[in-house]
This record gives sequence, C-alpha cells and structure tokens, in this order.
Amino acid sequence: MNQTMSSTDTVDVAARRRPPDWRAKLARRPEWLPGGLIVLSCIVVATLNPRFLQWATLFDLLHSATTTSLFALGTLVVLASGGIDVSFTAIGALTMYSITKAVFAWWPDAPFWLILVVGAVGGVVLGLINGLLVHRLKAPSLIVTIGTQYLYRGLLLTFVGTTFFMNIPHSMDRFGRIPLLAYRTVDGLDAVLPVSVLALVAAAVLTWWLLNRTMMGRAVYAMGGSLPIAERLGYNLRAVHLFVFGYTGLLAGVAGILHVSNNRLANPFDLVGSELDVIAAVILGGARITGGSGTVLGTLLGVALVTLVDNTLILVGVPSTWQKVIVGAFILVAGVLFALRRRG
Amino acid sequence: MNDANVSEPLLQVIGVHKRFTGVHALRGVTLAFARGEIYHLLGENGCGKSTLIKIISGAQPPDEGELVIEGKRHARLTPLESLAAGIETVYQDLSLLPNMSVAENVGLTSELAEHGGRLARTFDRRALARTAARALEAVGLPSDAEFQSTLVEALPLATRQLVAIARAIASEAKFVIMDEPTTSLTQKEVANLIAVLTTLRAQGVTVLFVSHKLDECYAIGGEVIVLRDGQKVAQGPIADYTKAQLSELMTGRQLAQARYRTQAQSVGEAVLEVRGLGRGRQFRDVSFVLRRGEILGITGLLDSGRNELARALAGVAPADAGTIALDGAQIALATPADAKRHRIGYVPEDRLSEGLFLDKSIRDNVVTAMISSLRDRFGQLDRKRARALAQQTVNDLQIATPDIDKPVQSLSGGNQQRVLIGRWLAIDPHVLILHGPTVGVDVGSKDIIYRIMQGLSERGIGIVLISDDLPELLQNCDRILMMSKGRVTGEHRAEGLTEAALYRALLSEAA
Repeated sequence: MNQTMSSTDTVDVAARRRPPDWRAKLARRPEWLPGGLIVLSCIVVATLNPRFLQWATLFDLLHSATTTSLFALGTLVVLASGGIDVSFTAIGALTMYSITKAVFAWWPDAPFWLILVVGAVGGVVLGLINGLLVHRLKAPSLIVTIGTQYLYRGLLLTFVGTTFFMNIPHSMDRFGRIPLLAYRTVDGLDAVLPVSVLALVAAAVLTWWLLNRTMMGRAVYAMGGSLPIAERLGYNLRAVHLFVFGYTGLLAGVAGILHVSNNRLANPFDLVGSELDVIAAVILGGARITGGSGTVLGTLLGVALVTLVDNTLILVGVPSTWQKVIVGAFILVAGVLFALRRRG
Repeated sequence: MNDANVSEPLLQVIGVHKRFTGVHALRGVTLAFARGEIYHLLGENGCGKSTLIKIISGAQPPDEGELVIEGKRHARLTPLESLAAGIETVYQDLSLLPNMSVAENVGLTSELAEHGGRLARTFDRRALARTAARALEAVGLPSDAEFQSTLVEALPLATRQLVAIARAIASEAKFVIMDEPTTSLTQKEVANLIAVLTTLRAQGVTVLFVSHKLDECYAIGGEVIVLRDGQKVAQGPIADYTKAQLSELMTGRQLAQARYRTQAQSVGEAVLEVRGLGRGRQFRDVSFVLRRGEILGITGLLDSGRNELARALAGVAPADAGTIALDGAQIALATPADAKRHRIGYVPEDRLSEGLFLDKSIRDNVVTAMISSLRDRFGQLDRKRARALAQQTVNDLQIATPDIDKPVQSLSGGNQQRVLIGRWLAIDPHVLILHGPTVGVDVGSKDIIYRIMQGLSERGIGIVLISDDLPELLQNCDRILMMSKGRVTGEHRAEGLTEAALYRALLSEAA
C-alpha cells in the first residue's frame, strides 16, 4: 500500500498534546511507584542505621530475592495475559523435592546442570497441564490453578514424602556455595554473592526479550487486553495459554531447584503459601490484575521492595511482625494510586 | 492488476444461511464482489448485515453455503484464513486492543497474518513502525514516534476509529470491510476517509462499506446491495436509486402493519417530566413530558445519545444536568436503586449482561426487584409468596416454561425478555423504560411483548420505548422523539406516519 495523500491534513488529536499530569505519568511508567518507595525505604533505614549502606546488604537482598524473582517473572507473564496462577509454588515444591529425593537416592553424583534441566522440564510439564486446562475448560485460571495447586501439593505430600532432609546431592550443595563475588566486611564477616544470582539475571533478560521482542510476547499482551478481540484478530489463544502457563512452570521448576541448593535443605512444606507475596510484588510493580500490562523492570522493583522490607526492618530494630503491616500499606497505596491513574 | 482472469470475482458468497436460536439471520444470500469496486451494504438493523460481515471475516461459520475467494472454495473461514486471503475488517466496535500502542494495533495484525499466525518468532520493530507510519499517514493521522507509541486507551473515540481504519489498510488488503466506520467522525475526517477509499479503489482493492448515512454512500459512489430479513432484495449502481427508493427497499413494502396502539387511548396527566437533561458530551438539552398511559418512542442512530439517555433515566449512568420530575415532584436518579424506589422500571438493551441472572431460576429473577418487600416477620424471604408472585407473572406474561425453578438461560430470547419485564411489574411501576425490548426476539414473541406493553399502558403506566426498530415504534407509540448527536431533533405523531417517511426523517436529521 503506497498511497500518500498530500492533500489530507493531519487530524487534530488534541487530547494527547496536553502536558501529562502525574496520573498520566504513572499510567505510562508505573515503575516509578516501587522505585520511589525503594528509595524512600533506603533513606529511612540508612538514616537510622548507617551499616545498611554496604555491599553485604545488597548481596543479602539479591540472595533472598532470587527465588521470589523467578516466581514473580512467571506471574508477570500470566498477569499480562489476563490470567492468574497460584499453583507455581506448588510446582516449585513438587519438582524440587521429588527431583532432589530421586537424585539423592539413585544418582548422588549427577551434575548440577542436569538437575536444573530436569527441574525446568518438570516445571514445564506441570505448567502445560495448567495451560491446557484453562484453555480447554474455558474456566477462570484462578479456579483451575487453585485446583492444581492442591493437586500438585497433595501428590507431593502423599506419594513423594513429608520429611525434610539436609543431605542434598553433592553438586547442588556445591553450587549453592560458589561465590560470584565475595569480600570480608569491616566486621570480619564474609559477604558472599552466590552464583545463583545469575539465574535471576538470565530469567529477567529472557522474560524481557520474550515479552517485548517476540510475537508471542505481543500475543500475551493482546490476549490480556481483550481475549475476544485477540481471537478475532487471529491470535492462536491455545498457543498463548500453553506458553504462558508452561513458561511460568519452567521458572517455578528452576526456582525450586535453586531454592534447595541455596538453602541446602529440601523441605516439602516450603514455598507453598508464598503465592500471595509474589503476586503482591508483581502488582506493586505496576501490573494490572485485570491483565494486559506489566513490565519486567516494574516486577523486579516490586520484588526488590518487598524483599527490602522483609530483610531490613531488623536492621532498624523493628520487630519482624511489622513486615506484613508495611507491605500491606504499600500495596494499599499502590492500589489506590493505580486505580486513580485510570481516571482523569 | 496482472491477473489473467480479471473478470473473475474477487469474492463470492454463495447460498449462505445462518441461524441463531429462534432467528434465521441469513436466508440464502448470494453475492459476488468484483475487484476494485466499492459496495454499500444497506439494510435496517437486524437485516443480517452484521452476520454477513462476521461470516466473511471468519468470526462465525455459515450454517449452509460457501465462500469462494479468488476461485478457491471455503465452507468456512477462520479469522486468520480470512486475513491471509487479504480480507480486512473495521468492526463497529473497532476491535482495538486498548492496552497496546497505536503502532502495534495498526501493524501487528498484518504481521501475524503474513506469517500464518506463527507466534514463535521475533518481529522487526522498525518495519512495524514503517508499516504503521504509512497507514497512519494514509488516513490523515500523525505518524511520529510519539503518536505511534501512544496507548489506544488514551485516544478519543474519533481517533480510535481512524486507527482501526489504518489497521485495515496497513497490509496488502484485497477486500476491506468497514462496518459503520464514520459514526464518530467529523465531516472533515469523513471527507478524508472518502479520499482514502477512492485511492484504495484505484489500487484494485474492493471495499464493502456499511453505513446508515445515505448521503455518504452517494458521495462515495459504487454499487449498492440491500438486505432485508436476511435476503438480498436489490443490487446495482447506487446512482440508479433515489433515497426514497432505497429506504423503501430497506424497510420493505410492508402490508400495512396493524397498529397495536388502536384508538387514541386515554392518556392522563403528566407522570414524568424531563427538563434540559444532559450528560457530558453524550446528550444535552433533552426535554419531554410523559403522560400516564402514554407510550413515548425515542429513536436515533447509534451515536445519537439515545442509549445514554435510557441509562440516565434508569439511574445507571446518571445525568449531570437538567431535572427530572415524577408526578410533579423533582427526584434525583443517581443510582438504579433511586429509580427503583421511585418505581421507575428499566429493561436494558443487553438483557444478558445487564439484566438477568442467567443461571438463576425464573422465580429468583422475577422477585429480585422486590425482594425486600417479600420478607416475613423474621426478615427471611417468604418463599411461598415469592413462588406465588413468580407463578402469577409467568402466567400473566405467557412465559413458556414448565417450571419456574428452571434457570433463565433455558428460555428463548423472547421469554427471557418477558421475565425481565415481569420483574418490574412486580414493583407496580409508574414508569417503565424499555430499551430495545425485542432485539434478538422472534416474531411470535414480539407480538406477545407488544400486547403486554399495550396492556401495561392501559393500566396507566407511562412507557418510554427506546428502539431503532422503526415498525416497532410506529406500531406501538403515541409519539416518537428523534435524537441526533445528543439532542432531540424532532417529534412525530406515530399515527398515520409511514415507515419510509420516518426512516427518511431519521437519515436527514442524522446527516
């Protein structure tokens, strides 16, 4: 199509030429909210306790944020597609515990990369079951994944085991100890940045690339914008559903394995129960619960904010029970501001 | 055009039938579309236009018949096959993705169709921006990066309409369907669109243009196709027909339909007085008086504000200017509960999403509006009375069901509509606002609904009937108000008025 119409004047689109107010800014870049709250929290904590400002704090935060970040990136993809997944923690728990147990029993010397791949594949399979059910049953994904969360967790506790063990396979244990960076703090403690942080970086880059540079990523947002319209425009919704839940499963499987090697402990009662914390972090990062929006940067900032609150209150002498209160307040603030951004 | 057989039609629709529950929407439609021609698809609401478009664009399969695209037969199309065959549609609802950018809305669909819907691939963002820029310029929109990255939800409606048109011409389309693309455009934008259509035609693209605005159709020129009751009744160059001929073809030479409103019924004192009512830019300065036992029709095209007025009178989307008085006393209608308290009943246009609890029983649906008056002395629902009331309503309104405990969704459209009307009868209304009460309802049910309506007016209830079904208005109303662009533009006495005359008035006032 090559027509150019020199005679046509440009249509007046006055509405968009207005200087954007804070609502419009927040709507375009919701990352400002968690970003601002992080800076605020850091200033408060650093003023009360200057020891906060050292590399070791950052290392700690990254260490504890790894598993949550992987879960959160998967949740971001599901939320962007207009769905919700609450089964990813159960997927993580099932894969981590059964694989760790199996490897320890039958092949204690298995290389770590292989364990990781098996974890990823296991996660994908469980995720695809979610995707297939959501697509086939045309049922709300919340209901489907509540069902599979119980199912996966029930299978784990009934058939695999209920006792935790600290004798994890050698390669997993070793991986958890490999430092990416390490130094001795002024207090004479060893500050270590574990190599598993690389998984966080890799997952963030991969998720960003998938969402922003592939047609599948665009299809995820299209479906999140409006499922019937996306269908009418020719998007293959089955493929999108399978991708979304399969990818979340993949990240959950990997997160489960990393969780074991970071904590040197395989506990079947771990992970499940933290879904809401993860979803809260993603919402704080600006993803709408109704779908069609959300960014990787926002999600990472949301996780960082929640992790920061969780880990630093102790530094300023606030009882850890206050964590929930503060995170809850942040979520309410975010909810109100994000609701206001739509009006104008 | 380098095809050997230029004379072969681009697209043929052969013997297509489509039935929905209770409605035979298309009855054996056969059409042929040549290359590089503009076709105007005309017909009243409910004549099958939308269904035909959906079948060509692959949104719905035909029950019988086939489509032939460039000699290739298809028993049905998927949306992707239709797009891949070069068929692009500008839907009435625009079908834009609000959460995505202008560039993505314009460019991604053709990108998707060109690669057979494959999602496992990257896309060239620069090529996307170039495609989008070309298409945006063609419809007269800005094509700079800032506009391209604007989210569609931030755009005003007229701009969205142009974005939807840009999407349709972004790819190498051979056949572009435009379903009422000009409803929210200004005259300048319409002129611009007509220039786009002319260019498209010169490039060998076929355009199927659906519009109620006959003046626009004449300005564009080309062939006209008239549908009535799911059948083609005329086809030929539009210049060969006068406006009067076209409106007669669309409405049909109906055998003088009996008016349900027989003699000049006794109409009492004013019950509802509306003065200078307005809401934002949707409608303004609307004033009228409704008398006891009167049936007042309100009509207008889709963008006339009639739907918004109906919702304001029901307190669903309240007015922000003017006054409403009931029996001489001013009332505020800020919520549906206010309307109910003042005994104003509202039967919404979209009964499925706005009116009925589909999976609940007929009984529950009938008693829901008066549930508070059915409390027994312990504050519990008095089931016996609820049952009796529901059963009486079912009998009164001749709702065809063996059992009032069946879910409402088991009923046909006409019966569902009667349940909705019955719900408001239970509160003994002073005023009833019926919004498109017979949309998607079969002929037999229409008849019963009209009789019910007349019966209610005889009981002294004032009825506001908002509808775009012209025969319905003529058969049932005392007076008909015409709306256009948010204002009341005329008032007609229904008795003695012909449908063709009313239709001409509708079109001329909308222009």
